[in-house]
Parts: sequence; structure tokens; C-alpha cells
Amino acid sequence: MGKQRIMFSPVTRLSGLLSVDVTVENGRVTEANAGGTMFRGFEWIMRDRHVTDAVYMTQRICGICSMAHGAAASYLLDELYDNELAENAQYLRNIMFAADFLQNHIRHFYFFSLPDFVKMPEHPPFHGQNLIDARLNPEDNRRLAGHYFEAVKAAQESHQILALFGGKAPHQHSFVHGGVAAAPTADKVEQALALIGNISEFVKGRMVPDTEMIARVYSDYFRIGITPRQFLSFGLFRFGAKNEKFLWRSGVLVDSQLYPPRLELISEDITSSWFDKTGAVEIKPDPLKLGAYTWVKSVRYAGRYFQVGPLARMIINGFYKGGTATMDRIYARTMETLLLTELAREWLKNLKPGPPPIYQKSTPVKKEVTAVTDAMRGALLHAALIEDEKVVRYNIITPTVWNFSPKDGHGGRGPLESALVGTGIPNQDMLFTILGRTIRSFDPCISCATHLLDRKGSVKAETVF
Amino acid sequence: MQKEEFSRICRDLSSGSNHALSGVLLPAVKEHLALHNKKKLPVIWLETNDSGDNNIAFMNTTYPYLDRVFTEMIDLLYSNTFMAAQGRNALNILEQIPGIYKGKFTLVVEGAVPVKDNGVYNIIARTETRFITALEAVTRLGGLAEYVVAVGTCASFGGPSAARPNLTGSAGVRDVLEREVINVSGCPVNPDWFVGTLAHLLMYGRPDLDRSGRPTLFYGFTVHRHCQRRSYFDNKDFAMKLGDIECMFSLGCMGPRTGADCPYRQWINHVSWPVKANTPCIGCTNEDFPDGSSPFFTPMPEKSQDQGGGKNVSGQRGD
Repeated sequence: MGKQRIMFSPVTRLSGLLSVDVTVENGRVTEANAGGTMFRGFEWIMRDRHVTDAVYMTQRICGICSMAHGAAASYLLDELYDNELAENAQYLRNIMFAADFLQNHIRHFYFFSLPDFVKMPEHPPFHGQNLIDARLNPEDNRRLAGHYFEAVKAAQESHQILALFGGKAPHQHSFVHGGVAAAPTADKVEQALALIGNISEFVKGRMVPDTEMIARVYSDYFRIGITPRQFLSFGLFRFGAKNEKFLWRSGVLVDSQLYPPRLELISEDITSSWFDKTGAVEIKPDPLKLGAYTWVKSVRYAGRYFQVGPLARMIINGFYKGGTATMDRIYARTMETLLLTELAREWLKNLKPGPPPIYQKSTPVKKEVTAVTDAMRGALLHAALIEDEKVVRYNIITPTVWNFSPKDGHGGRGPLESALVGTGIPNQDMLFTILGRTIRSFDPCISCATHLLDRKGSVKAETVF
Repeated sequence: MQKEEFSRICRDLSSGSNHALSGVLLPAVKEHLALHNKKKLPVIWLETNDSGDNNIAFMNTTYPYLDRVFTEMIDLLYSNTFMAAQGRNALNILEQIPGIYKGKFTLVVEGAVPVKDNGVYNIIARTETRFITALEAVTRLGGLAEYVVAVGTCASFGGPSAARPNLTGSAGVRDVLEREVINVSGCPVNPDWFVGTLAHLLMYGRPDLDRSGRPTLFYGFTVHRHCQRRSYFDNKDFAMKLGDIECMFSLGCMGPRTGADCPYRQWINHVSWPVKANTPCIGCTNEDFPDGSSPFFTPMPEKSQDQGGGKNVSGQRGD
């Protein structure tokens, strides 16, 4: 078999639009160009708006992880206005954030990932599944396919917790700067506890054993889709009056050493992206640029690529000791889901029923703020420069930008592309099945990933690690 | 069930525990289908420039839950989000379906359509030799569909994807197609509005539409008209800050000129809505959302008129 180029497009079952241009030589992937093919330019949309609009506006970047953008923007505004957060506000915020995580992880596993491993019923939207490598015995297969439909309710109930306090979902309303506008009344807390009980039962009784079964039957995927062991997390779940405490730690893991993240070491590259900067003061879109193949930019930390997401969080926090392959990413996400059901229940019990835990100050004490958190898919950064409470510049770096970074000026590959290259394709009919599993293990969100950002800086790795 | 009765049920049974609407609706749809020997509604769903929030909102449907929508109401033939097929196999489906279902399928578009530079800002799929833009796909399929439904405010009117400065020239589907488009707006859509519209198409065909092309069933009255805090407004008793229990007109509420039934339908199994969460309605179903609603926390008369994106300001029935 000679050299062949295959366009994997569209990569379905994810958020947004993705195409991957794959080169296969002698039964092995030798090149992969992952292309995010949608562009909206949210950073431009943010300009000249009142900065307190950021929570509601930036949630519109992403439907499946809206709370993460709302949280990052709220943390940013908290610092900008020097707000003091009540303990109840932090519990409530974290409950809402965790509820959106649960929604995301359950939907990702069952709606997006499961049809990579389980034969679905032959009716729409599952027609033409073409799962070449289905390995479950008929009885297990039938049971797991049935859980797809149970997941419908568990994910909906996760969003119901978010909406109980947030008014709606996606794009909740009450988690804003200064705290949470909704009151944690006893009836709402009781309803949420009942819902988390159902979700917890689903996760323990279905999602965990289902993940274990898939991990057992498809155990070769612990050796497929391996990435370099370089992980980054901005930390998750804030506490303290100034958002200063994290439940899950942040960190940059490289060469088996853990460092605290330093935001000034983040740099970008547009070599393979549809952007141009020649002669211009700022980057502008250039959809016809030769050699470019994506709207996603390359983002690096100290000149190196880093993988972000549940696996990064679980490894950095010492919860998971495994590897860096496709099944490790899937396994870590389910593990995190289980931890979150327990945390959400604990936080609900710690909430003290009472009035809305919110106090918003009205005068900014700063002009420039960068806020970070982890989102469902990994590290998320919002940065704003303001003048008279209006946005001059708003930058966003989303998790999928880290994972789906295209090749930089030196031809270096980001986590997804490096996971794909080297993958064995025993016969060409299996290409979509095999690569689809690895691509989805990153839980890609292309609607998030395709944004303008303009961060200067280029730091050599040797100077840092 | 007659159409009038269906409409009445949609309006009346929109609240309460164990949501009665769909409990009544689904058996009725089934009975209707059996009686009239109709099949499920064939649906092609294109995702274009948006955040994917409307497919998430759709997953949040209750009574009927998503699984029952799939098995009893619609045949979702193409959907980037849900379909099991992938790569060339998915694209083949997209190429073959319109021929088989010409004039019989419903095209659902989720997202605005960029028109600048021939639409290169949104490519729904690629082959080895070319790009298929959202503009091309929506134009082609829009010409072959029985109904075109724009789900969400981006697809309906441009929405956040077309917010100033609109670098990509994003537009609502109605500005791309020369045919009627049923707009089911909202950011995101409330699943009841969308599933209810699909049910109406299946059972009775085109629903009555307002001036913005939206089913009057769901958008016919303003949020203000049915707001639980209306008495505070009438008494000029206004909130000072988020978290207060009074009318939030003072905090930027867009309820008075936003057509939607949020106050009584509510969201996610009908448990809450933004005003109940002590925050203002930001008018997310409107033609000029978000520019016409911003700054979100500034009272309506003082919102920035000059930044409104130059779009029509929709007027609604009711006061």
C-alpha cells in the first residue's frame, strides 16, 4: 500500500465542525492536519461592549460548556471590581459549574463516544454507522446501547440542577460577578439533592461499569493515540473571598516535574492558521492563506505543546496513574464524572439556605485582568483590557486550542496531531473508526476553538524547565 | 385532535410538575400518525455558525425526552451532532438524502450563515478537492426541503454570530433563501418551542407565524405581559440590584419588547427562567439580539442605540 491521502470529513459527534486531512503510508498514519472550519471572531464581538456583559456574551461562545465561559468571565470581573465572595456563593457557583461538567461528560461519553465502540440500533440518527471493529458480545452490546437512552435523562437532570439556580441552560443567568443572584432556598437545595442522587446512581451503575467494559474489551486503545506526557491545568473550583483557593490544583507537568503555571509563558503561532499579521498592527482573518488548514491557532507554553482536559487534571492532582493514550483520556473523564457527583452532593449539603449570595461592587479597581480556570475540556483563559468599563480588548484561549493546535513554524505537532500520527491502520475501511475514537477522546469543541487571540511572546523551553 | 385543540394544549399545558403538555401531545401525535398513515418527519439538520447551544437545548427536551423524539417523531437523517456515521459515510448520506426525500424533508439550520467571501468562514465538510460551505449547503438543501426551520437566534436573525462588527458577514437563513423560513428563535431555543414546532409540522403543517416568522404559539406575547413581577412594574417598584425581588426594568430587563412564553413555560423541565433567578431577561429571542439588548444591565431607554447593528427592532403583540 503506497502513500494515500484521506479526508476525514465531517468528523461527526462533537461540538462544531472538524475535518482531518490524513496521510497513510504502509498501513500507518504519517501525517494529520486537523482543521477547525468555522470562524466567528468572538474577541472582536466583545470590543466596545460594557465589560459586565462579558458573562452572558462569552457564554455564547459554546453551548456545551457555557458555564465555563461564564465562570471565567465572572472570576475576571470579580478581580476587576474587587468583589468579596460569600462562602455560600462559592458553594453555589461550584455546584452549578459541576452540574454543567456532569452534563458535558455524560453526553460526551454516551452520545459522542459510545457509537465508536457499540453497535447502535439501525434507525436514524444511527443509520450508516459502519462500525467495522465492534467487539462487544450481542448481550453486552444491547445493554450498553440501551444506556445511551438512559443517559438522555441523566444529562438533562444535570442541566436541571444548573437551571434550578441559573434560570436556564445553556447560557445560565445567575452566576455573575459578585456571587450568585439566585437564592439557595431549602426547596431548591432539596430538589437538587434528589437530582444529584439520580445522576449519581446513573454514573455509578452505568457510566463507570460501561467505561470499564469498553476499556477492557478495547484495551489496545491504552496503546493507541499516545501523546507526549506534557499536561497543563489552570486548576478548578474556586473558594475564598477573592477566589484565591482552588479545590483541584493547577500545574504544568513536563519531564515528570510539576511547575506552577506562569501565564506570561503562553505564546501563539499562526503559521498553519487562516490568519495574517504581515504589516498589520493586529492579526486579521485570511481564509485564503496558502499552507494554512484551520481556524485554530497553535498555542504553546514555554515553547512546548501541552495537553489539557480531564486526563491532565486527574494526573496533575495525583488521582490517576495511567498513561497518555486514547483510553486513558476516556477513562479519566469518567473518573472525574464520578468524583464530581460526590463533590456536588457534598457542596449542596454545605449550602446554608438563605438570601441570594451576591454583592457586586460598581467601580473597577483595575484596567487589565487575566482570569483562568479549567473548563470541561481543559485550561481556559479570559483576559480583558478596559477603558471606562468598556472592553478595549478581550482575549480567550480555549482548551481545544491547546489540544488541537496545528503545526507551528517548526513543524511541531500539537497533542491531537501527535496522537494521530503513528496510528496503525490495518485496512483502509477502519480508518474512520480507529481515528474517530482517538479524536473524540479529546472531546473536541470547535465552536470554542476558533477564535482570534493576539498574545505576544515567544519563550524557549530551555529557559524555563 | 383538531388543530385548534392542539394549539390550546400547547398554550395551556405549559407548566406544572411532570409536564402535562407532552404527556398529552405524544399519544396525540401517535394517534394522528396511525389515523392518517403518516410517517415520521424526515429531518436534515445542518450546524453552521453558532455555539452548538441549540442542539444541547434540544437534548434537554422532556416529555418527550430525546429518545422518544428520535423513535416516535422524527427521522434525523443528517446531524453533525448525533449521527453515528462519520467522514465520507456521513457526507454520502448528505448527498443522497435530498434526492430520496425531495420536497418531503424538513431542513433544520442551527446557526447563522456567513456570506462574506463566498461563505468560506463556515465549511460544513471537505472532500479531497473542495470545501462545502454552509452557504452552499443551506442554499441547495433549502431549495429542496418541504419546510425550512431556523433553530435559535443565530439561524433566525444572525444573533451573536452576526453581532457587530460581524467580520464574517453572518446572516439569518431567511436572508440567504428566497422562501419562507420558520424561525424558532432563542439563545438557545427552549426545547418546547422547537419540538412543539416539529410536532405542528408533522401533524398540521405550517404553524401561524408572527411578523418575525416565528410560531405565534410560543412567541405571540411579550415576556412582560406574563411576568410574575408585572405587579411591581405597574406599581413602579423597581429592583436596585441583582438579587432583589422587584421588577428589573431598572436593571435592563428586555421583557417589554421580547416575545416569548418563558414566564410560564420556563426552562429545563420547566423549573426556572432568568427573572425567577433574579436576573433580567436579555431579549434573546429578538431580531436585534444581542446588540439591541446591550449593555444588558442598562435600562431599555438608555441602551446603546448607535450600536444596534442597524437591524429591525421587532414589535410584538400584547403590551
